[in-house]
Amino acid sequence: MKILVVDDFSTMRRIVRNLLVELGFSNPLIQEADDGNNALTMLRASAFDMVVTDWNMPNMTGIELLQAIRAEPKLKGLPVLMVTAENNREQIIAAAQAGVNGYIVKPFTAVTLKEKLDKIFERLAASGASA
Amino acid sequence: MNATMPLMDESMPPEVLALLNSADGTAFEQALDTMVRQREQHLFRALGVLARDLHGAVSRLGSDLANEGMPDSMADARNHLAEVLEMSSKAAHRSLDFVDRMRPEAEALSANAAAVLDFNSSETDPAAVLARQAQVFAAACGEGLNDMVLVQSWQDLAGQRVKKVVGFIESVESSLMELVRLTGALAGREAPVEVAKVSSQDEVDRLLSEFGF
Repeated sequence: MKILVVDDFSTMRRIVRNLLVELGFSNPLIQEADDGNNALTMLRASAFDMVVTDWNMPNMTGIELLQAIRAEPKLKGLPVLMVTAENNREQIIAAAQAGVNGYIVKPFTAVTLKEKLDKIFERLAASGASA
Repeated sequence: MNATMPLMDESMPPEVLALLNSADGTAFEQALDTMVRQREQHLFRALGVLARDLHGAVSRLGSDLANEGMPDSMADARNHLAEVLEMSSKAAHRSLDFVDRMRPEAEALSANAAAVLDFNSSETDPAAVLARQAQVFAAACGEGLNDMVLVQSWQDLAGQRVKKVVGFIESVESSLMELVRLTGALAGREAPVEVAKVSSQDEVDRLLSEFGF
């Protein structure tokens, strides 16, 4: 499974990558971007299976990236998990309205990450089966 | 105003009292205007002095901090905060390097112990007992390393807080300058063109001097 990790802090990208590998995802298939603009360029250039993004980033924020993904026919079905320090009601609602698949508030545990990922894949499998 | 009604207010200046009691409406209004304007000028001058004092206090604070080896300008403060981000990021990466180095070691220990147990799974043989202990230790290390990775995410959170503080400092600075601009405009001097952002101490001093503070 090809995953794109988007965060402006290199530490956080590395932590998320580390956790994903720990959860059994293949390290070489995980790629990184440091803001929404670069992420979008990478998503357009090659096929990914999932995006894990921060909210607060320069140039293009996570919510803008999510909206851009949902607006593009080729990308709109891509699962997006937000991993962010933004935890106020309005922002969570905005992410939900923009069509986020999961939302994790930092700091989080590996257990939380696993739970949210499992839930995303369960829902995708269910919607795939009913379609 | 009924000029025949006696005015008893002793607190009014005598010239206003006299005008109030006179029949000359225009002279009365002019006197009133002058009085109001004088009072406004006093108020604005007082505001100006206040802004000047505030600016002085901020400057003194800046130089006091400089004497303590602390930043003495907004630019310095921002640089210091950038250094904090850089240092905490380096520390987090070194911890993650350590995890990357130790994880395979723990996995290898666990695998080696399993190989020993395949060969000798006795409950009492010291080699088998040690192999089991090694497996428990390797598993505990793996969990500990995972926790250590997660703890590093505080660096990211702390970094975001620092970035917000930088933004707050900038907004306080520009609000203060906006206040100076407004008080200057109210004091009857021509207001300078829109102050977008004042970044250096020189610019602050220049702006203040435009209003005679």
